[in-house]
Amino acid sequence: MSGFRLETGGRIDRSQPVRFDFDGKTYQGFAGDSLASALLANSVMLFGRSFKYHRPRGLVAAGSEEPNALISVNRGPGRFTPNLRATGVEIHDGLIATSQNRWPSLAMDFGAINDRLGMFFPAGFYNKTFMWPRSFWDRVYEPAIRKMAGLGDAPTTEDPDVYASTYAHCDLLIIGAGPAGIDAALGFMDTNKRIVLIDEQDELGGGALADPALWPWLERSVKALADAPNVTILTRTTAFGYYHDNFIGAVQRLTDHLPDVTDAPREKLWRIRAGEVVLAQGAIERPLVFDGNDTPGVMLSSAAKVYANRYGVAVGKAPALMASHDSGWHDVFALAKTGVGISAIIDVRQSVDSALMHEADRLGIPVYLNHGVVGVNGRHGVSSVDICDYGDQQVRRIDTDALLMAGGWTPSVHLWSHSKGSLKWRDDLGAYVPDVPNENVHCVGGCSGDWDFGTGAIIDMLPTPKDQSRIKAFVDFQNDVTAKDIMLAVREGFRSIEHIKRYTTNGMATDQGKTSNLNGLQIASSALNKPVTDIGLTSFRPPYTPQTFGALAGHAKGALFQPTRTTNIDDWAQAHGAVFELVAQWRRARYFPHPGEDMHAAVNRECVAVRSSVGIFDASTLGKIEVVGPDAAEFLNRMYTNPWKALEPGRCRYGLLLKEDGFITDDGVSARLAPDRFHLTTTTGGAALVLNMMEDYLQTEWPDLDVWLTSTTEQYAVIALQGPNARKVLEPLLEGIDLSAEAFPHMAIREGRICGIETRLFRVSFTGELGFEINVPTAYGRAVWEQLMAQGAQYGITPYGTEAMHVLRAEKGFIIVGQDTDGTVTPFDAGLDWAVGKKKPDFVGKRSMARSDIVALGRKQLVGLLTDDPNLVLEEGAQIVADPKQPIPMTMIGHVTSSYWSETLGRSIAMALVAGGHDMTGNTLHIPMPGKTHTAKVSGVVFYDPEGARLHV
Amino acid sequence: MSEALIRHEPVSDAPFVAEGVRIRLAPPMQRHALRARNAEDLEGLLKIKIPRKIGASEGGIMCLGPDEWYFRSEVGTAIPTGEGLPVAITDISERSICLIVEGPRASEILMAGCPLDLDQFAVGQATRTIYETVEIIVMRAAEDRFHVEVWRSFSAWLWMAMTMAARH
Amino acid sequence: MILIHCPYCDEKRPEIEFANAGQAHIARPLDPSGQSDADWETYLFIRANPRGRHHERWRHIHGCGRFFNAVRDTVTDKFETTYKAGEPRR
Repeated sequence: MSGFRLETGGRIDRSQPVRFDFDGKTYQGFAGDSLASALLANSVMLFGRSFKYHRPRGLVAAGSEEPNALISVNRGPGRFTPNLRATGVEIHDGLIATSQNRWPSLAMDFGAINDRLGMFFPAGFYNKTFMWPRSFWDRVYEPAIRKMAGLGDAPTTEDPDVYASTYAHCDLLIIGAGPAGIDAALGFMDTNKRIVLIDEQDELGGGALADPALWPWLERSVKALADAPNVTILTRTTAFGYYHDNFIGAVQRLTDHLPDVTDAPREKLWRIRAGEVVLAQGAIERPLVFDGNDTPGVMLSSAAKVYANRYGVAVGKAPALMASHDSGWHDVFALAKTGVGISAIIDVRQSVDSALMHEADRLGIPVYLNHGVVGVNGRHGVSSVDICDYGDQQVRRIDTDALLMAGGWTPSVHLWSHSKGSLKWRDDLGAYVPDVPNENVHCVGGCSGDWDFGTGAIIDMLPTPKDQSRIKAFVDFQNDVTAKDIMLAVREGFRSIEHIKRYTTNGMATDQGKTSNLNGLQIASSALNKPVTDIGLTSFRPPYTPQTFGALAGHAKGALFQPTRTTNIDDWAQAHGAVFELVAQWRRARYFPHPGEDMHAAVNRECVAVRSSVGIFDASTLGKIEVVGPDAAEFLNRMYTNPWKALEPGRCRYGLLLKEDGFITDDGVSARLAPDRFHLTTTTGGAALVLNMMEDYLQTEWPDLDVWLTSTTEQYAVIALQGPNARKVLEPLLEGIDLSAEAFPHMAIREGRICGIETRLFRVSFTGELGFEINVPTAYGRAVWEQLMAQGAQYGITPYGTEAMHVLRAEKGFIIVGQDTDGTVTPFDAGLDWAVGKKKPDFVGKRSMARSDIVALGRKQLVGLLTDDPNLVLEEGAQIVADPKQPIPMTMIGHVTSSYWSETLGRSIAMALVAGGHDMTGNTLHIPMPGKTHTAKVSGVVFYDPEGARLHV
Repeated sequence: MSEALIRHEPVSDAPFVAEGVRIRLAPPMQRHALRARNAEDLEGLLKIKIPRKIGASEGGIMCLGPDEWYFRSEVGTAIPTGEGLPVAITDISERSICLIVEGPRASEILMAGCPLDLDQFAVGQATRTIYETVEIIVMRAAEDRFHVEVWRSFSAWLWMAMTMAARH
Repeated sequence: MILIHCPYCDEKRPEIEFANAGQAHIARPLDPSGQSDADWETYLFIRANPRGRHHERWRHIHGCGRFFNAVRDTVTDKFETTYKAGEPRR
């Protein structure tokens, strides 16, 4: 038996019964009940099995500090949440909850064998066992441990819930809406400060919710705050972390308490910047440490008061109190008022306040001063307790069906500590309280050590005549850490609380030691014979209570995770069956398969079409920067390897950009439009990096130059037309531009109109065929593309994607920065020293090209590879060796950077970086792969039309 | 050849309406990036007042940096190139689109993803900032109306994020 | 999320509008070709890693776009001061 519903009292709504399930059985509670209070009212005392020993466990607390009663709630497919504290789950019709960490059932758990074998699982045993034989770890130990240990089951299906998030700003943020927090809010209500008041519970009031005398004040205050226009109240909201500059993270739970599942957001992440923060988080009561203190039915006395006064549930017919603090006495007096009979008050102190003695006497409660509990009888509930008279060491038995613990109070300094406020020890409280703030914050009420419910003795464990090594006196309920574990850690040489914590796992459970840290500290202090302040205090880390992944990151699920950038022509590509790939954040068409074609067939067809007639390609993603000002050419001269000053307006140049260390970082063809205006291009992925690098030099090294940079990547859609028939397709659509070979040579730019739209027309080629890149204002990209497709139909114009683009450029030996270079390749290594201006006194990277490492022999150099088997396509990234017979580990002399099937050449081609490669032309190299070693001959990188005749038509 | 080719925009021009907020695509306009060592050179060239304070806007010109202005004008407005002067005038009309967010919940919707205290933004105040990971320029055009300039390729994502925030 | 005072905007702005830009006050030599290998190596690669007060650069990339200098404590992560590019070391 034990728990039962009181006939009257509580803030529950007795007119609204609620039916819910726990472990397959249906129970009834009332609206306003937590799962904990509703089950307790139904005499359910067993809530779970402990982590390591699988001991039967019941409720310890009534709030979010609850360490034992971890349950799972199932709201439907994909909506299974483990490790919720039963004290924080609001019941609603149809709630389905289950206990955890037990099999086959809570009452009859096979894991309890661990309890019997407890001597083999002391603290730190993880570090000492399961080591041998090593092979057993994967197959035997780990699977077994995973099955036996742990808390709830992780969900296995995708979470369909929606999550929201927002930033918010306020002048005053009050965290905690107990009496102290509410008072703080009332104090500033009539100002024009923007105030936000947060509480983790479903209604404001905190401790006042368990004190009926305060309810009229509470009702008035809540109404006043709700009516105040400058006050925002967030209930069911946990402030989980305090970050720099008064930035607080909080999660608001919106729908878990509702009976129906909808697509309204389940939780909302609040990221709040506060001018000032007031912390009113209260204090948490401490359990006492004695043999059997984890028996179901043993709980904090303040919790018993909350169950009685807030929920109308008695924890037992005749509970006893074990106290070291006055507050426990007040709690049982409040219980007595509800009609519960108190079987005894046991207090470790030799004397207490006479007013308390008097009241106990008046209520007819037997009092045992200078006594302590040394044993609890009963396994799934309390039947009696054994208490020891510390005077004469006599032990007697007291019949009782619940035992309440009042071990003193620990101010909640979690968020204060996140903010790096300092703490100071108070001997009188046996606790740390906030000292010097690090942010604009102060603490009020219980969390600052400011309470008015009496005093108490500070002790580590209740003294006992029993052998400490034979008893189980729990300190950390959730991680199954006992007092002897902590003493063992000290015996094994651990001195600092950081080590003791990690060796015993005290304070490392999901409750972050809310009910165990200070007890652990006191026990360590006694064992080490040092003051608590000498041992240290472990760090408090966000989150204050566990938060869902959904709340923290779910607002950016799916398509919201990151933008997929698409060009103006992307819709057309999609409608025409393109297969896409992601390049940086852009979605680019990779190939356009006809029905029945796989990628190779499509790419082969696309390449052949470009070289035999004309292909059309969306090059809009390429980075573009407009460089404008009287010093534009001077600036480019200093940035790139090439000379720029003599480039005439209307001409283009291939630019190579190095970092200061001499290595290639980007490249692109750029055009001079006017003496003071250049249109630069960069690689797709490098656009932002190049602009940032250039701005850095301009702003911080050469601020005297009159030149400015503007990103125009998205100003222009770019359509590449490549192939012998490119001119024929383009000419009829142009106005104001003479397309003839004489008027418009390769590597030039002209301005005019295409289909009536102004255009910057480049004659450039990344394929080695006659080519143009048509830049038009972005919104017209698609329309111009469609016009070109229509115009080109008679020539069999073929859209091609990035895959064909890669093959075509490789056939001509053009590098792709980031594929054929890796940040350690110089222009000379890549065969691009022709692009380096020899007469320029300085440019970015020039000095580095004279570094000893850069001029040394044996550097990796870009070469071509032609496999002996022409049908074999090497794998990109494959390593190359000179002698395949050398012993392993072999000396790798390079790797394959680009590799394709060339339909044009009827054989495979590859590019590779090979040490000393430029001097190896004609040599045979070896590429070991699983199962076979391939051979290839070193060649030049230009495989097709080496004279470039096809370009200059 | 058809005279008027169709423009394709990255978001629909049908406004999104939810309680307390409306989000719609602004009609096409001209945009120019104005840079200069001395604002006077731009003023002389464009015959228009250039606001000096970063964050201020005046007559279609927003001051985004110590030597950077964002100039929005009606389609068809003649803008000189400034060739030869220590200025840089660059046409970026197509680079961005403008989403107009209006209604009593306008600032709330923007603050779903933007970390600035937009409630304290004065009418006429403008700044480059960020919405989650996407760069935007936000300008308070009126008490209940914000203009959000965003690069084209990010605008579909921004539309999705803001309309979702509006629905919540 | 730290608030950083941008010396150009002259207001505190959230950290995610900024990008860190490495150690401050490392001027590019006016005559790189005249640098010895050792001096050039120092310019390229050698950086301070102090525990405490550190001079570094930030860029207000999603704001005014300017590079500027800052003194930040690498242990407490607090900004002591920020100042414009080109101003002397504080």
